[in-house]
Amino acid sequence: MAENLDTANRKKKDEPAKSQDLIDGNRNRGAIGEPPVVIEVSDVRKSFKSYQDKAASLKERFITPSRSKHEDVTVLKGISFQVHKGEAVGLIGKNGCGKSTTLKLLTKILHPNEGQIRINGRVSSLIELGAGFHPDMTGRENIYTNASIFGITRKEADRRLEDIIRFSELEEFIDNPVRTYSSGMYMRLAFAVAINVDADVLLIDEILAVGDAAFQKKCFEKLKSIKENGTTIVIVSHSMDQMYKICDRLIWIEDGAIRDQGTPRFIGEEYLAAMEGRRLDRIEYENRLKKEELERQIQAEQERLQKEQEERLQREAARKQKEEEESRRREETRKQKEEDGRRRREELAEMERRRQEMEKNETAKSLTRFCRPGARRQGTWEVKYDSVKMLNSEGLETTCFQVGETIEIQMEYSGRENVDVNFIIGFTRLDGVFCYGSTIRLDCKRMWKSRKQGMVIFKVKNILIKGKYVLDVRIRAEDESFIDNIYSLIEFESCDDNVTDAGVAVMEHEWFVDGVKVPVNVEERQL
Amino acid sequence: MIQRLKDIYAYRDMIGSLVRRELRGRYKGSVLGFLWTYINPLCQVVVYSVVFSVIFRVNIEKFYLYLIIGMMPWTFFNTSVQGGSTCIRAQADMVKKIYFPREVIPVSYVTSAFVNMLFSFIIVFLAVLASGFGFYWRGMLFLPVIMLFEYLLALGVAFAVSAVTVYFRDLEQIISVVMMAWIYITPIMYAIDYVPEQYRILIVMNPMTPIVEVYHQILYYRMMPTPNYLILAGGTSCVVFVAGALLFAVLERNFAEEM
Repeated sequence: MAENLDTANRKKKDEPAKSQDLIDGNRNRGAIGEPPVVIEVSDVRKSFKSYQDKAASLKERFITPSRSKHEDVTVLKGISFQVHKGEAVGLIGKNGCGKSTTLKLLTKILHPNEGQIRINGRVSSLIELGAGFHPDMTGRENIYTNASIFGITRKEADRRLEDIIRFSELEEFIDNPVRTYSSGMYMRLAFAVAINVDADVLLIDEILAVGDAAFQKKCFEKLKSIKENGTTIVIVSHSMDQMYKICDRLIWIEDGAIRDQGTPRFIGEEYLAAMEGRRLDRIEYENRLKKEELERQIQAEQERLQKEQEERLQREAARKQKEEEESRRREETRKQKEEDGRRRREELAEMERRRQEMEKNETAKSLTRFCRPGARRQGTWEVKYDSVKMLNSEGLETTCFQVGETIEIQMEYSGRENVDVNFIIGFTRLDGVFCYGSTIRLDCKRMWKSRKQGMVIFKVKNILIKGKYVLDVRIRAEDESFIDNIYSLIEFESCDDNVTDAGVAVMEHEWFVDGVKVPVNVEERQL
Repeated sequence: MIQRLKDIYAYRDMIGSLVRRELRGRYKGSVLGFLWTYINPLCQVVVYSVVFSVIFRVNIEKFYLYLIIGMMPWTFFNTSVQGGSTCIRAQADMVKKIYFPREVIPVSYVTSAFVNMLFSFIIVFLAVLASGFGFYWRGMLFLPVIMLFEYLLALGVAFAVSAVTVYFRDLEQIISVVMMAWIYITPIMYAIDYVPEQYRILIVMNPMTPIVEVYHQILYYRMMPTPNYLILAGGTSCVVFVAGALLFAVLERNFAEEM
């Protein structure tokens, strides 16, 4: 027992020392000089010829002998960067910005028009998986073939065969022809070969989406251990989550040039904010189209009604000349028609109402720059919100909050004076689970009198478990009717680098087992 | 240049496994499997020998033997050139997506055709035995030499046509027309002295002529190959090989973009 305690104590003592070592190590690395440069890209330019319709056959080339009918499309406009040994660098940017071209240049599949690329050491790329698989050959034979494509000798492949098969989890099927594999099995085998190649530099293009969740996690863990072994990694991915976890540095490429680079969090947030702006513009555009479509429908319906009315008048005039005995039946049909007309007018009114609602929903966008596209707004607007901001503990407006951080929500309102109002805040998980709500009325047992203009601030410590949530803000009257009700105004994320709890909230807790307090092994949780 | 050769050497196992894949994959699933390697040229030989010895009455002793000795090397050359013209484009998926020295593809294609020819020489030897001609052993020493020359020639042409076809697809069709005619200006179905004096230069200009002739000299005429044919065959083969390899090296840079 005493011995146990002793080792436990020593362990405790060791731990901070170890982390101190780590920090010192990092510092030393900086002091002695950075690790050697493995990849050096200097002022690389790349353009592709874009033919309108490529004249690949003799006839066409004969008719237009000069091949001048093409435009040069510049993809990379001079990019330069260095990657040091053991570093993991992520390339981010929107589609078509040149990330994948950069990666292809690094693998030497493409050659730059200008500039130079130098890489020291063996390069392996996880760009195209399963290239060169032959469907009729067995998994085992294909491992050898595929490995040889990565420049691995048969001897080396023999040595790794067991690892590869174990990693792919295909032990039972390894001697069946590959054509009998499911696509998941196929990709697993391909990934297993590619990732078991010992390389000094590993280039990865958006491939961590292989297999089921368990296999993905395994790949990810493998990647981490490869990185720890000192392999230099360049990765292209749209999953910011993965980038944050693997990369030491992000390079943001925009329109063929490096826009910014730096620590993942910093660059990532900036990039996401820029992307969000673009997305909102797009949604606004789509909403406008939808509204125009509705308006067009309304107009068409009105015209149709008018035309029908005219026709009916004409018909009636003609009918008046007809015999008296038909009049009763005519009366009935007329009533029927009127009924139809009424119904149609109701439909029209309903459409009009929906259009107005949509317009009201759209006003939510003016409240915040992070407005969620699905935001809905209702109410009498006697008093209404003018702006809603979610601030983190540093007072910055963001949509990502660490667990334990204080969220501050600032809501400006304006409207009629002296209205009895109740301010309400609600957090709902993205899958619809209502997680938390608070109202002034319940907190202080009475309604509040509104001013002409004012500001409500709500502060709360974020203990929501890692995930995505939406914010609802409301103003309600004494009888609970809506004054300004906004659902799903902002989508925000509760972030947690080290998830140790499950459920809805991260509750403060302690464990005691057999009278001993269990140490919580959580690094740097900001609780 | 040295770097390139080193690079290709590092990928020797890829060449090996591509050759294996080519040889094993081609007939996989067919009932007769690898036997097709023999059946195909054999049928060709049977058809030609019937047509030429029965209908045209070519005046060559044991015509089937003469034909088969010329036909097997020709089949190798023909496969290398025709298949070679499409081999890069057939592997477009790999070329566009992963790095390896591009030379690997034509080299492994031609090598697999070469291995096929080696197998088909079993038939040639059987035919020699069946004819009762027997072997001229001193001359047989030159068989590997002429095979190497033919390999270099085929590889050189395959380098050139595979690279050019990437940029200019009509070549594929042009090649099949050219090959159809080429067999008739090579002394395979006739002896070279049948050709009228004024056209003979045309036949000798053809780089396949000295090669096929050396095969004939060794196996059919049972004599030492004449030095002028050997030198001609060796010289043209090396020149074509180097020229093809250089052309390939120049055109190879933009493969991924052109496909």
